[in-house]
Amino acid sequence: MPEMRSNLLHTFEHQQRRDAYGFALRPQHIQTYREYTGIFKEEEAERSEKWKNFLQHLDEIQPGSPEEKYEDVLQAEATELKEEILEKGEGEKAEATGVEESTVSGSDSEEDEAKATELKETIVQEGSRKHNESEATAESVSEKGREGDKAEDAKLKEEIVSEGNRKDDKSEATGETVSEDSEGNKVETTKLKEEIVSESSGESNKSESSEEIVSGRGKEADEDGDIKLEEDIVSGRSGKGNESEATEETVSESREGDDPSRKPDSDGSTDCDPKKEQISKETKTSKVQTWAHVRPCLGAIENMMSFRVKKRKDMKGEQLTNSRDHLPSIDKEGSSEGESEKVSKKKISVNKTSKESENSSRERGAQGDGVPPEPYFSWKEELECLVRGGVPKDLRGEVWQAFVGVKARRVERYYQDLLAQETNAGEIKDHDNSSGVPRKYKRQIEKDLPRTFPGHPALNEDGRDSLRRLLLAYARHNPSVGYCQAMNFFAGLLLLLMPEENAFWTLVGIIDDYFAGCYTEEMIESQVDQLVFEELIRERFPKLVNHLDYLGVQVAWISGPWFLSIFANMLPWDSVLRVWDVLLYEGNRVMLFRTALALMEIYGPALITTKDAGDAITLFQSLTGSTFDSSQLVFTACMGYLGVTEARLQELREKHRPAVQVVVEESSKGGVRVWKDSKGLASKLYSFKHERGSQMDEKKTTVDGDISHDEPPSSDLDELLSGLNSEVDSVPDLQEQVVWMKVELCRLLEEKRSAVLRAEELETALIEMVTQDNRRLLSARIEQLEEEVADLRQALADKKEQESAMLQVLMRVEQEQRVTEDARRRAEQDVAAQKYAVHVLEEKYEKAMASLAQMEKRVVMAESTLEATLQYQSGKAKAISSPKSVQNQGSTVDSPRRRTGLFGLGWRDRNKGKQTNVEESSNSKSITERTDSSTSQKETEAKEQEP
Amino acid sequence: MGCAASVPDKSSGRSGGLNNLENGGPPDAKNLRVKLVLLGDSGVGKSCIVLRFVRGQFDPTSKVTVGASFLSQTIALQDSTTVKFEIWDTAGQERYAALAPLYYRGAAVAVIVYDITSPESFTKAQYWVKELQKHGSPDIVMALVGNKADLQDSREVPAQDGIDYAEKNGMFFIETSAKTADNINQLFQEIAKRLPRPSVPDS
Repeated sequence: MPEMRSNLLHTFEHQQRRDAYGFALRPQHIQTYREYTGIFKEEEAERSEKWKNFLQHLDEIQPGSPEEKYEDVLQAEATELKEEILEKGEGEKAEATGVEESTVSGSDSEEDEAKATELKETIVQEGSRKHNESEATAESVSEKGREGDKAEDAKLKEEIVSEGNRKDDKSEATGETVSEDSEGNKVETTKLKEEIVSESSGESNKSESSEEIVSGRGKEADEDGDIKLEEDIVSGRSGKGNESEATEETVSESREGDDPSRKPDSDGSTDCDPKKEQISKETKTSKVQTWAHVRPCLGAIENMMSFRVKKRKDMKGEQLTNSRDHLPSIDKEGSSEGESEKVSKKKISVNKTSKESENSSRERGAQGDGVPPEPYFSWKEELECLVRGGVPKDLRGEVWQAFVGVKARRVERYYQDLLAQETNAGEIKDHDNSSGVPRKYKRQIEKDLPRTFPGHPALNEDGRDSLRRLLLAYARHNPSVGYCQAMNFFAGLLLLLMPEENAFWTLVGIIDDYFAGCYTEEMIESQVDQLVFEELIRERFPKLVNHLDYLGVQVAWISGPWFLSIFANMLPWDSVLRVWDVLLYEGNRVMLFRTALALMEIYGPALITTKDAGDAITLFQSLTGSTFDSSQLVFTACMGYLGVTEARLQELREKHRPAVQVVVEESSKGGVRVWKDSKGLASKLYSFKHERGSQMDEKKTTVDGDISHDEPPSSDLDELLSGLNSEVDSVPDLQEQVVWMKVELCRLLEEKRSAVLRAEELETALIEMVTQDNRRLLSARIEQLEEEVADLRQALADKKEQESAMLQVLMRVEQEQRVTEDARRRAEQDVAAQKYAVHVLEEKYEKAMASLAQMEKRVVMAESTLEATLQYQSGKAKAISSPKSVQNQGSTVDSPRRRTGLFGLGWRDRNKGKQTNVEESSNSKSITERTDSSTSQKETEAKEQEP
Repeated sequence: MGCAASVPDKSSGRSGGLNNLENGGPPDAKNLRVKLVLLGDSGVGKSCIVLRFVRGQFDPTSKVTVGASFLSQTIALQDSTTVKFEIWDTAGQERYAALAPLYYRGAAVAVIVYDITSPESFTKAQYWVKELQKHGSPDIVMALVGNKADLQDSREVPAQDGIDYAEKNGMFFIETSAKTADNINQLFQEIAKRLPRPSVPDS
C-alpha cells in the first residue's frame, strides 16, 4: 500500500506527464501532445455538439418504434414536457434544498447543483429524457443516486442510506437520496453534475406528466430499494420484451442491493451508482453492486445493438460454449428474483419471474433474427459517421455499453454470483468448470494489477480492487479464456469509463464475442489474424513488405502486439479510444485490421528508408506511438480500406486457420506432423471420389466436416483408397461416366483457372523480384560508383595535399631565393661601392701620382734653378771675387734652406693655383728674393726648354 | 555471481540472427548486429532488465508487456568491435508462448530469465531452455539469468542450482538485479564476447 500511495504522489507531481485521460505520456511525446490538446478540445466540442443534435433527433424519431407504447404518449407530451422541464429546472435552481421532501424537491436540489455546471446541457438531456418518459425519469433518479454515490465519500453514502431508511416511503427515500446525491455532486466534477441535472430533469418530467409520474414514482419507489429500477424503465422504453428482462434485472439488483447493503434499503442504490472510483469502498462486501444504466437517450442505439447481440447469440446458440453455457446460471437466480419482487411490490412490471424474462428475451432474439434490423434504424448511417468522428468523452462509457449491447447481454445477478462464488470458492460449486478461478490466473492477475496503468490516478487501491474483481469474475465466467494479459488493460480502461458491472458485461461482449478465440489458451484466432493481416498487407503494400522482407522484419512482430492489445499502449490514448469507438460500434475485428493497414499506409514511406531491422522496428514503434492525429488515423482506416470487410476476413481466416491449428496441435501433442500432408491428400481423394459418385455436395460437406474435426488421417486415407477402389470397380453406367467426365472437365477448368491465376501471381512476383533485382544491381552499382568517387576524392585530396606541400616548399625556396638575391644585391652594392671606392682611390692615387710627378718635376726644376742660380752666383762671385762674396756665399748657403722652405709653401700654392700661381708665388716671395726668384724662374724655364 | 559454463564454441556456422544475414548488407566483423530474445515467466523482470540496459532506468511499476516489445542498444567491446543488440522482450504469460516462436526464430541469443525468489519461474526457465533446444537455431547463444538478486533475503533458488543447470546445458549463467543495475551490463558484455564472429569478410 505505501507503494501505491507513493505512486499516486508521483503521478500528481508529474501531472503534466499524463494526458486528459490520466494515462502516462512518454516524455518524448509531451510536447506533441501539448500541441494537439487544442485540436482535441475543438474536436471534442464539435462532436459533443453533433452528438447532442443527433440524440435529440433520435429521440424525436425513436418513439415511433412499434414496441414502445409509452413513447407514443410521451411523444405528444414531449415538447410540452421539455418546456416545463426547462422552467422547472430554473425554478429548482431558485429553490435551495428540500431534501427530505418529495422527489420533486430532491430533483430541485439536484438541479441547484446543476446550475453550477451548465443549464444548457441539462435542458438538452432533459429533452431527450422526456422522450423516454416516465421510465427515463426513473432512470434519471437512479442515475442521480449513482452520481451522488460517486461524488460522495463513503460517509455521504451512508448518510444517504440512513436517510433512505428513515423515510419508509420508497418514493420519498429516492427523492432524498437524490438530493443528497446532488450535494455530493457539488463536490464532484462537472460531468457528474451534468448527469445529475439531466436526471433531475427526468424527474421533473415525471412529476409533470401525471400518468408517467405515477408509473415513474412506482419505479422510483423501487429505486429507493434499488437503483436498478432504471433498467426496468429502460427496458420498457426499448420494448416490452426488454421490459420484462429489465424488470427482472432491476428486481434482482434491488435484491442484491439489499443483501450486501450495510443498511438494507438504501444500500442498493448507493452501490449501484458509483463509478469505479467509489466502487472500491464497497469492495469488502463480496457482493458489490455497481451497475448503472445507460442514459435513456442512448436507448435507441442500445436497442439496435442488442438486436445484433441476440442475433449472434441465437446463431451461436448450440455451438458455442461461451457465454451461453455460463449464462444459464440465471435460472437459479430466478428464485431470488422472486424474492426481490416481493421487495418491490409496487412495480407491476417487476413482477415477472426471471424465467419469463428469459423466455421473452429469447423471443426477442428470435424476432431479431427474423427481421433484419436495418429497416428500423434509418439513422444508422448518420450514427456511423458520428462514431467515426469520435464519441464525446462524457458519453463514451455509455455509448460503448450501448454498442456492445450490455443490456441485452446482462443477466441479473450473474456478476454478483460470480463474485460470491469467488469469495466462497470451494464451498459452492455451481458450475462444473468454474468452481474457482484456477490458481495460475489468480496469481497472474495479482501480478498484473499493479502493472496495469501504473500510477493512473483513478486506479488507486479501490480501483485495483475493482479491477481484480472484474478480472476474477471474468475468469470464472469464461474458463476457456480465463485471464490473458492484455485483458487487464481492457478492463482497466472500461473501469475508467463505467461502473464495475457494466464494465464486466462490456468486457464479456468484447472478449467472448468480438474477440472470440483470440485470448484463449492457444490464442488460435490471434495467430490466424496475424496470417490474415500479413496476407492483406502483402496485397496492399507489396513494396513495403518487400522492403521488410529484405530487412528480415516480419510484419507480425509489429502487428502482433497491436492486435493483442487492441492498440492500448501502442498509440496515444486519444487515438486508441477513437479506434475502440469504431471497433465496438462495428462489433467485430475489422477495425483492427483497417487501423493496422492505415498505420502501415501512413508510416510505410518512412519505413522504406530504413536500412536495418532494428532501425525499422524502432522507427515504427516510435512513429505509431506518436500518432496523435487520431482523426487522420480513423478516417484513413475507415475510408481507405472499405474492401476489408468481415466477410473477406472470414474467408481469409478460413484459409489460414488450418495451418495454425496444425501447429497448435503439433505442439500440444507432439509429432503429429503426418496429419497435415495426409489431410491434404485425403481431401483431394475425397473430392475425386465424390465427383465420381455425383453426390458431391452432401458428401463433400460431410467430408470437410470430418477433416476439420480431428479424425485420424491415416485411417481416412485407407478408407478412402478402399472406397475409391470399390467405386472404380463398380462403374457400370455410362451415364455415370459422362457425369464424371463433366465433373472432371469442370474440375480441370477450375484448375486451369487457378493455374492462370497462380501464373499471374508468379508473374507479378517475378516482376517484383526483377525490380528488386534491378534495385539491388543499381544499388550495387551506385555503391561501386560511390566507392570510386570516394577513391577519386581521396586521390584528389592527396594531390592537393602534395600540391600544397610543394607550394610550401616552393615558397620556402622562393623566400630563400629572395634572401639570396638580397644578399647578392647587397653584395653587388658593396662591390660597386668598393669599386667606386677603388676608383676614387685610384683617382686620388693618380692625382697624387700626378702631383707627385709635378712636384718631382718642380723639384727637378727647382733643383735646376737652384743649380742655375748657384752657377749664376758662383759666376758672379767669381766675377766680383770680393770678401763679400764669401759672406754671400755664406748667405747663399742659408738661402737654399729658405728657398726650400719657400718652396714648400709655393708647392702647396701651386697645387691650388697651378701654374698661374707660379708667378704669384714667386711674387709672394720676399721682395728680397724677388729678383732671385724671377731669375730662377727664368732659369727653370730655360732649363725646361733645354732638356 | 560467477559464470559457470562456457558456451560451446560453434563458430563453424553463422548463427541465424547474427549480423545482416537477411538484409544483404555486407557482414562486418567489427560491427555485429545481433537479434536477442528475452524469455521467462511473467513478472521476473524481463522488461526491467532491458530498460535498465538500454535506458539505464528502473521503474518498479512497469507495464505488463503484451505480445512483445522491441528495443535496441549498441555496446562496444574492448577489442573495438561494436555489438548492436536488437532486443525482443516477450510477454511472460504462459499462453503467449504460442507466439514466442515468432520472436525467437532466428535469434542469435536467448536470455532466459527467472526470479531467484520464485522456484516456479526457475522451472519455467527450464521449460524455455528445452523449447529452444528443440526449436531454436542450433547455434543460439543462451544465457540463464537469475534476476532480482537484490532480494537475497527472500531467495528461494540457490545460485548453485542455476549454475549447475546452466553448466549442464552449456549456457552462460549470471545473477542480476535490474533494480540495483547489478551485473546488467556484465550480462550483455559477456553475451557479446561469446558471440560467434562472422568469418572474416573479404572486403
